[in-house]
Amino acid sequence: MTPPSAGQVCPPRHYTHSSVQLFRFSAVSWNAHRIHYDTGFAALEGHPGVVVQSTLHGEMLGRYALEWAGPGASLESVSWRNRATAVAGEPLTWTATVRAAEPCDAGVRVTLDVSVLKDDGAPCVTGQVELTRRAARTSP
Amino acid sequence: MSAALDEVLARARKLLGDWESEDCGVLAVKDFCRYAAALNDADYIRRARAQEAAGEPVVAPALFLAGTMSWQDGPAEDELRPDGLAARESPCTQGLPVRQVHGGQSVRLLRAAVAGTRVTALRAVTSADQRQGRSGEFVLLGVSTRFTTEDGEELMVMDETIVVLDGAPDDRSGAAA
Repeated sequence: MTPPSAGQVCPPRHYTHSSVQLFRFSAVSWNAHRIHYDTGFAALEGHPGVVVQSTLHGEMLGRYALEWAGPGASLESVSWRNRATAVAGEPLTWTATVRAAEPCDAGVRVTLDVSVLKDDGAPCVTGQVELTRRAARTSP
Repeated sequence: MSAALDEVLARARKLLGDWESEDCGVLAVKDFCRYAAALNDADYIRRARAQEAAGEPVVAPALFLAGTMSWQDGPAEDELRPDGLAARESPCTQGLPVRQVHGGQSVRLLRAAVAGTRVTALRAVTSADQRQGRSGEFVLLGVSTRFTTEDGEELMVMDETIVVLDGAPDDRSGAAA
């Protein structure tokens, strides 16, 4: 992987969350809000299906950023704002652009502007991920 | 603004800066692995169980602490709000006809959370503001949580916003199917 530079666009990742995953994530995160597993209740709040947890969006922002950064990368911070809800089965896309890349003791500190987009390109969440990457080896 | 939202705002402003301590218990590999399973992260589970078997430290999934909504045992079902949340998870709204949505989160990871560590969460409402949105007025609550070890080392600092809106859907009264 070449050293990251500001403006670099990361390859997008396409995925969906199943209703089973939303239920399991609610269970392990002790989040009993019914919009995440009760379709009828979600409909009362105007949602066409069970709603993806905000914290699950946060997980995806960080996880795909780490996968992009490669082995040995570590997460320093994740922040995001919710813009629109997503529901189970909805096609989603993780996108990221390098905002900054600066040398640090651990290698390179990279700041990414990240988002999760709906199929029509509207953002569900937007935010930033900071991570450190090991510096690329420059000698054999 | 509605009387219900006024009440949320008044309650929140009384709590501003009032830090509450909550025992998160001792972090366990099983909880880490279940969290990872919900994320379909089989690699984490294999690695964590191998480390555990070898007597090595097992580090939690990076956002495990931030992703966990509550560390309490929780009330029985009849004490939950109509939306399923416990009072602790919906600050300043108990008994009011309002609903809440998560506005966002900012998480700074300071140290790895390792299995076997007893963790404490210090939590406070840090801001409470009246706002106007496209769909009407709402209250925006800021909540901060600091996760620390028994030795006082900070593991994670988390700031989040909670949007409180008028109206609480309730299908438990028989009014809605």
